[in-house]
Amino acid sequence: MNIRIKLALALALAGVVALVGALTSSASHRATPYKVAFIYVGPHNDGGWSQAHEQGRLYVQKALGSKVQTTYKENIAVGAQFAQTVQSLVAQGYKLIFATSYGYLTKAFVAKYPDVLFEQATGTDQTKNLAEYFGRAEDTVFLSGMAAGAASKTGKIGYVVPFPIPEVIRHANAFALGAQLMHPGATVSLVWTNSWFDPAKEKKAAQSLVTAGADVVGQNVDSPAAGQYSESAKIPWVGYDSDAKKFAPKSWLTASVYNWGPYYLKRVKAAMNDTWKTGFYYGTIKDGFTKLAPYGPGVTAATKAKIAAYQRKLVNGSFYEFQGPLYDQSGKLRVKKGVKMDILTGGTNSLYGMNWLVKGVIGSAKG
Amino acid sequence: MRFTFERRLRQPGWLSLAVPVASVLFAFFVAGIVLLATGHNPLSTYRQLFDAAFLQTGSLNQTLIVATPLAFTGLAAAAAFRMKLFNIGAEGQMYIGAITGAAAGLYLGGNGGSSAFVIAAMVVMGCLGGTAWALIPGVLRAFCKTNEILTSLLLNYVAGLLLTYLIFQSQSYWRETKGFNASVFPTGKELPPSAVWPGWTIHVQGGITLPLGAGFAVAAAVVLWVLYKRTRFGFEAQVLGDSDRAARYSGVRVRRKILAVMALSGAIAGLGGASQVGDFAHSVDGDPNGLQKLGYGYTGIVIAALARYNPYAVVLVAFLMGGLENAGNTLQGANFPAGLVGVIQGIILFSALGGEVLIRHRVRIVRTKRGVAATEPGPAA
Amino acid sequence: MNNSLLIVLIASGIAYGTPLLYASLGELLAERSGVLNLGVEGMMLVGAVMGFWTVQRVHTSAGIALTAAILVAALAGAVMASIHAFLVITLRASQIVSGLALTIFAGAAGLSSYLGNDLNLSDAPARHTFHAVFPASMQRWSVIGPIVFGQDILVYVSWACVIAIWLYLSRTRPGLNVRSVGESPAAADTMGINVTSYRYAHTLAGGAFAGVAGASITLAITPQWVNGITGGAGWIAIALVIFAFWRPELCLVGAYFFGALQALAPQLQARHISLGPTVLWTNALPYVMTIVVLVVVSSGTARSRLGAPAALGNAYAREER
Repeated sequence: MNIRIKLALALALAGVVALVGALTSSASHRATPYKVAFIYVGPHNDGGWSQAHEQGRLYVQKALGSKVQTTYKENIAVGAQFAQTVQSLVAQGYKLIFATSYGYLTKAFVAKYPDVLFEQATGTDQTKNLAEYFGRAEDTVFLSGMAAGAASKTGKIGYVVPFPIPEVIRHANAFALGAQLMHPGATVSLVWTNSWFDPAKEKKAAQSLVTAGADVVGQNVDSPAAGQYSESAKIPWVGYDSDAKKFAPKSWLTASVYNWGPYYLKRVKAAMNDTWKTGFYYGTIKDGFTKLAPYGPGVTAATKAKIAAYQRKLVNGSFYEFQGPLYDQSGKLRVKKGVKMDILTGGTNSLYGMNWLVKGVIGSAKG
Repeated sequence: MRFTFERRLRQPGWLSLAVPVASVLFAFFVAGIVLLATGHNPLSTYRQLFDAAFLQTGSLNQTLIVATPLAFTGLAAAAAFRMKLFNIGAEGQMYIGAITGAAAGLYLGGNGGSSAFVIAAMVVMGCLGGTAWALIPGVLRAFCKTNEILTSLLLNYVAGLLLTYLIFQSQSYWRETKGFNASVFPTGKELPPSAVWPGWTIHVQGGITLPLGAGFAVAAAVVLWVLYKRTRFGFEAQVLGDSDRAARYSGVRVRRKILAVMALSGAIAGLGGASQVGDFAHSVDGDPNGLQKLGYGYTGIVIAALARYNPYAVVLVAFLMGGLENAGNTLQGANFPAGLVGVIQGIILFSALGGEVLIRHRVRIVRTKRGVAATEPGPAA
Repeated sequence: MNNSLLIVLIASGIAYGTPLLYASLGELLAERSGVLNLGVEGMMLVGAVMGFWTVQRVHTSAGIALTAAILVAALAGAVMASIHAFLVITLRASQIVSGLALTIFAGAAGLSSYLGNDLNLSDAPARHTFHAVFPASMQRWSVIGPIVFGQDILVYVSWACVIAIWLYLSRTRPGLNVRSVGESPAAADTMGINVTSYRYAHTLAGGAFAGVAGASITLAITPQWVNGITGGAGWIAIALVIFAFWRPELCLVGAYFFGALQALAPQLQARHISLGPTVLWTNALPYVMTIVVLVVVSSGTARSRLGAPAALGNAYAREER
């Protein structure tokens, strides 16, 4: 009986399909706009990573108006769900797809869609229809670490981190180096939330750090939960990924933020003009790709001036936070004096593969 | 006014066609009101939904990819729930099956075993992994009377942590450690070619690949059906499901049955995990934004219950549910809030559920003294 | 002293356990009447979003806005529960499917997400939040300061709810009636108890509690709105009812125990305490500990059903009595 029921259900579905299909088939012959899709790993309004990309999409849509049609897909899991999403986007005529998280795309996958252009944030693979892009946030995270170091009296700083991957380790190190510049000998304690986005865990992590003695909290996670806790505990806070000042108006110091819009606009225009080429883009402060969010009341004029000075040095190349000598947690020299760590090249000195924590960071690089 | 329900002694044939049709239409009617109220065209929405699920080029192929794991988790739930053993742990058992199945594939495939042998080993190891994980709540239930709903649920979280640990937080056997990409972002080690499960491609709709795992799922459904309908084991399990005491009096060895059923349920879920690795991912997917985000194990419970624990119906419902999941991803976007997808999916499930009740029962509406106008006995209304 | 690990764990266990407590008390009421509602996560999320919305939109004093928010959240939770009640009590559909469908309908990718997006709630913090009611000087008292006086009003109200529900179920006529409805609806019916009404009332009350639980997250613990902010607390709450053997006072113990365990891993990390060879062990500890406690408690209990209402999960059909 049950099988018959289910079969009947299937038949019913098929009937409805035919009906709906007949009712809605309409042929439109207007000039079709160029279709661009953005795939997000979290909700489009997560107040962090995905929302920053969403602002980039809206920037493109606004700049190009009716010449483009953009959409997004949110909360898409890596793997089969991503593949299905791309497949249906391609079937709907989307020509350029921005996949905004690592792990979405592989060389083999993009080879199946030779007529579609793909771009992946934070990855490394390049083929003729797959480009990679990301931003040099370590520079701005370093500057935000300076704000944290200046705000700390005890030199004990807490840092809330998601997963022990090189991107996060790189940012934690940059943050610590910045803090130590302003407060020599400062330590940065890590608490891993083991989650990309979880306000409750982020709050618990911040609370743990503060009750264990930290007098400034920073984060490499997205939600403002740690900031809201810091506000209630009257502790200065450095955010990440978005200007979250309104969530903690008194505690807010600053945050490293990304500005994806101009890059997206440039790439969409190139794709529309058939001048799109693959590549690896690593946006900088100079490009306006990464920057510091506006300061909160706790940042003194002297600190602002010093941060501005270092920002200038970073831009003109006279300073680089990941230039040796760099020591690891155990005090061992890891990067020799004068040697600069580089993103893609450099072997053991590659920033993209950095899996060790610098001196003064307390915690494990394994999570 | 009051509804009364009489259990139908005989279920007329036309009903089993009319009611599902009516429930689907009812669901689309209600969902249509929701869509209109939120400023969306119901007809074009439904068309997109069916296109994405079943009609568009490549859609059936994608639907099968989702339906295959759902069939496994649905069957795993059905196998246990039938005996009133509420194994909520198919999710975690699937992760463990993926881990053990991948271990077999990586090790034997890497050492040059023949493909058939490697795949057979992956199947066995996947089943064993799922079984071992399911036996934890099984043993605790059988010997300590610990509620299996709770333990199997908590073990899902532990299995998820283990999965992430193996790829993200350790240099385990399953993690790719060579090459530049692997140093940038943690990924699972790719299976050697001999450990990749073959698929059977039908050249319609741009090529539909029937994964080997889908075949295993159908086979598992047949085995389950035979086991429960045609063997003493199944009979005893059903008696036990109906009444613990009756089973004890009639000499059923309760502990042994609990262990056997949990082992079976876990084996099916574990096989689903091995299929995830062998058929689709080709590595252990430890990314918290991957397998763990999809919740196949939990959807499997919905499927099993909607199918009333009938194994064949589970496979069919899994297919429909796979289509519905895919349709959801296709619908959502800048002009269609993701939240509306869940609302529509919920309405469809509620209607299917309500309609199913009408097949088994005759509804009478009894007017009470106040004489409120009686409503038509519509599906789910 | 008040920042020592033990005190912090107890105090934060109470704070983080409070949403779990409200939700599990609600689920307990529904289950005591024989209705299993697996839609807690969905009901919590709708309560969370509606409560948050109320606080953002009602421009009055904090006290009134927060009270209104709790009432709206309770109402929203009850409305969600009414769908489940209609399907499983009136239509006698499968309680498991209906509850899971409710989670899909209302949950992180359903109604709550739609409402949060449509009402544009995610870009600002809560205008008013629940915070500690006692003066700071009392919160600084040793030991009892943070544990007893450092909590918000929702915590104290939840204690009153535990006592009220305990009294209701054990000392009042309707409370005893509920228990008989959950144990044996046929017998209850013969005694003249209206099984349907009792089940409806308690399922809806359960939804209201879940709604309040959700609002306690968006208005006290993490005062903001994002999709899926409950983070699986609804599932833990359902598990807690089993853990508590369907007794309200044990719900409190279980909720605080689990709340404290969830705070344990970050506390250990922040204090540089390593419990074992791997991070896996520390992270899995809350779950493993819960299982161990459950095993110890359940194997020590002689009763085989451990307090589960006998008719839990079964529809009641008078005609088939």
